[in-house]
Amino acid sequence: MPALAGRRNVVVLAVLALAALPAMANPYILYVANIALIYAILAVGLNLLLGYAGQFAFANAALFGIGAYATGLFQVRLGLSFWAAFPAAVVFTTLVGLVVALPALRLSGLYLALVTLAFAQLTQWVMLNWERVTFGAGGFRVPPLTFGALAPALGLYYLTLLLTGLLVAAAWNTVRSGVGRALVAVRDSEVAAESLAIDLARHKAIAFSLSALYAGVAGGLYSALLSFVAPEGFDLFQMVVQFSMVVVGGLGSVWGSVLGAGLLVGLQEALRAFKGAQEIAFGLLLMACIIFLPDGLISLVKRRARGWDEPLRAPDRPA
Amino acid sequence: MRILPGVLAIAIAVTLPFASPVAPASAQGTPGVTADEIRIGALGALTGPGYLYGRLIMNGAEVVFNEVNKTGGVHGRKIVLVREDDRCDAATAIAAAKKLIFQHQVFMLHGGGCSNASIAARPEIEKANVPWVVFASVADEVTLPTAPYIFSTALAASIESAAQLEFAQQQGAKRVAVISMRDAWGRARYNPLMEAFKRKSVTPVADEEMSPDANDATPQVLRLRQANPDAVIIVLYPKAAAVYMRDATKLGFKPTQIGQSALGDLLALREQVAIPNALDRFFTISQVRYTPEDPEMERWRGLVEKYFPGDRLSVYNLMGVASATVVVEVLKRAGKDLTRDRLRDELAKLKDFNTNIYPGVISCTPTDHQCHKTPAFMQLTGDKVKTVGVTTVTR
Amino acid sequence: MLPYLVVSGLTTGSLYALVAMGLVVVYKATSVVNFAHGELFMVGGFLAYTFHVLLKLGYVASLLLAVIAALLLGLVTERIAYRPLMRAPAISLVLAAVGFSFVLKGAARQIWGGLGDYMPFPPVVATPAITLGSIILVPQQLVVLAGALICMGLFTAFFTSTRAGKMLQATAENAKAARLAGIRVERVYAFTWAAGAATGAAAAVLMAPLTFVYPDVGSPLLVKAFAAAVLGGFGSLPGAVLGGFSIGLIENLAGGYLHTSFTDISAFLVIMVVLIVRPTGFFGPRAVRRI
Repeated sequence: MPALAGRRNVVVLAVLALAALPAMANPYILYVANIALIYAILAVGLNLLLGYAGQFAFANAALFGIGAYATGLFQVRLGLSFWAAFPAAVVFTTLVGLVVALPALRLSGLYLALVTLAFAQLTQWVMLNWERVTFGAGGFRVPPLTFGALAPALGLYYLTLLLTGLLVAAAWNTVRSGVGRALVAVRDSEVAAESLAIDLARHKAIAFSLSALYAGVAGGLYSALLSFVAPEGFDLFQMVVQFSMVVVGGLGSVWGSVLGAGLLVGLQEALRAFKGAQEIAFGLLLMACIIFLPDGLISLVKRRARGWDEPLRAPDRPA
Repeated sequence: MRILPGVLAIAIAVTLPFASPVAPASAQGTPGVTADEIRIGALGALTGPGYLYGRLIMNGAEVVFNEVNKTGGVHGRKIVLVREDDRCDAATAIAAAKKLIFQHQVFMLHGGGCSNASIAARPEIEKANVPWVVFASVADEVTLPTAPYIFSTALAASIESAAQLEFAQQQGAKRVAVISMRDAWGRARYNPLMEAFKRKSVTPVADEEMSPDANDATPQVLRLRQANPDAVIIVLYPKAAAVYMRDATKLGFKPTQIGQSALGDLLALREQVAIPNALDRFFTISQVRYTPEDPEMERWRGLVEKYFPGDRLSVYNLMGVASATVVVEVLKRAGKDLTRDRLRDELAKLKDFNTNIYPGVISCTPTDHQCHKTPAFMQLTGDKVKTVGVTTVTR
Repeated sequence: MLPYLVVSGLTTGSLYALVAMGLVVVYKATSVVNFAHGELFMVGGFLAYTFHVLLKLGYVASLLLAVIAALLLGLVTERIAYRPLMRAPAISLVLAAVGFSFVLKGAARQIWGGLGDYMPFPPVVATPAITLGSIILVPQQLVVLAGALICMGLFTAFFTSTRAGKMLQATAENAKAARLAGIRVERVYAFTWAAGAATGAAAAVLMAPLTFVYPDVGSPLLVKAFAAAVLGGFGSLPGAVLGGFSIGLIENLAGGYLHTSFTDISAFLVIMVVLIVRPTGFFGPRAVRRI
């Protein structure tokens, strides 16, 4: 018998609550919820790369930015509508992710971290310097989105909710499939994975492009939500925020990432009460989560409630 | 089942701040105004590197509001300042603006430090018809095209940039070079500067860049020196500018150097450059008439350091004092029956208002909401800051 | 033009090298990159500023006090952000350090942020600039250069010829074996973190006249120092210095000969190429495969 606080019940309840939220929330809360959903997409995508495939890469914030820039620029520069620009941008971002994966296939550990960090710096530099295309440091406005009779903020919220649902479900299916098992094998031991006839390069490339795809979708939605795109939002701080969501939620757990994204976005807004000391409070909470919940928030849920098991375990801790 | 209390606790902890009691609407129905209170939202960076243009300016403003409150407030209403952090980030700025408008239900906004954050937040504020007095963001897109409720007491980038070039030519410079920062702040000034060059049919003889955190400007100085300019227009933050001036002096490169209002504190800059006589040919625009060390500013020094013991009076504080003085004045003029429309009308007809901190007067019109149009050029002579020229830009 | 670019490139490079060495010292013993090192550096600078400029203590006393304070802070970092996480995945350690760096940065902003924008710090040697032919050298730049080389020399000597240094090396090589050989591994770790932080503070005091002191001084330097350390093979002190010099030189040459807009990105472009061609940096082991 499934437990009352089991996964299916909680997810259904959460989706219902999110769908009903606009009826009772003011524009500020609706905006924050929309941001949280976008980050859920980002965190789930990054977890596929970091938590499942074990690739410690710094490229996700840049890919998020590329998704946002591409969605915006395809509209402003090429005159496409959002509905054409957005999917095109997602494809574009995924391809960039694949290109990033090429050097990554040969690298590991700190060297992978540094090359992807260099890629992130290069992306920032291009956003700042290729002014004829990107509008440079001052950013650019994206035409506001319309949804027929539906208010724009509401329409975008439901679009985000729909895509978040689809992408989380897709990730959940992926990690339970052969691909997911192969990724974990690559993470835990490349040698062992190879000896099981798992194609390392192919699976690393899959992980990189999947996370890029998620970042592209998130970026497109982000540009529509802000109606403004500028380089600052896609820097190292952004990367730290995304890493934190994955780790605080739980490495190698799709639901953990959803939880981590919601919690961290909520927390950042809640910490506004500290008026200037948010940096201190955020840093302390981040450290506390990592130290006291080493397997993430999701481990708390798994321990206390039945029906939250996931097919693959979290990364091994070296003895 | 034991999970439920935990989940509930987390859910409550996260949602509680959002459910903070909504400010009671006033009798007349103007948000943020009650019989004894006016609620003003302060929007700007409290954290992150941009805090200089947020927290420190807000501290200056709060001192002015505190002083007004001590003498009974404005028409019997105390000013309550609510701060929200934008971290100089577009998404965070939109959240902060929405929170101030819809959650705190403030009467008006006072703030805006970083250009991109302010540009991103503008549509939301414009849509809500909330009066907004911008205290520091210089990008023209914050105030242009003119929005009915948005006014600025900061010197707009286009005005300063045009004045820098104008001043270079007044000093007899034929060959003018530029060194700038390629970030949002730098581009907000650089682009209008290039337009000013075009209007005068002049081309910069060199156009170099420097990052805000650079510790070395040797390549920049060498390249500029090769171009042999009479004057260099400096679009840099204080650190980059200090490094640049240090390396320029070191390499014997001494053209006329022309700064802008981010370099308004000449005594601080001299201390940072730390080479004697390095600022001999350095001129800068200042947003404020006095350096913090000036005896004229003694009163504000005392007050700022009393209310904010961690602060040592800076030009950032003074910018807040000056801007808040304007806010208080228009609140007074708007009268006892305070509404947002009345405040807007009073702002739109504010004319020749002297804060005794801004170098010139503050004048708005219904069509021009860039109310600060007086770039004053300053130079250091000995330990004294001397005003060498004031240009008032007219449109 | 070339001599100027080279001299100033080496000076900037020694800034990166000094910061990188603090990273490498900790990494050598613990295999952890301390992403809070930039902030330990920053706090060291502010402490020295407080002692020397605000409290008007002597230069040497301020330097010593700042180094001692940073040493304690290093011990605190080890205790709260490293020891509980020794067995956690690398990303957790990185994030714990980043969390700690937020705390330090936020605290610095609260405590010292009201003083002004970029706090100037008086140079160690107040002699006028030295002219060598057409080149002008600011003495402080030579001090930083010398400081980087001395630090490198001291640490290298320490690691290769002292008992404590050898213990560190042994621990890094195989913690379990070191413990069996009677080395108190926890103490060794604590010592390294303290030493790393102290290096940061000493570097900060040397460099403060050039970089100024402000809450965000550490982060951009850390990114460059991390790059320098990886380029040098991480774990090699001469490698870190060479990596720092390389980045400083590349930046200046690209800025001087291409355009100044390339200054910041040039080093990263070179790094991308180097690591794609040679995936373990200049000084790294030729092949790494840990099973």
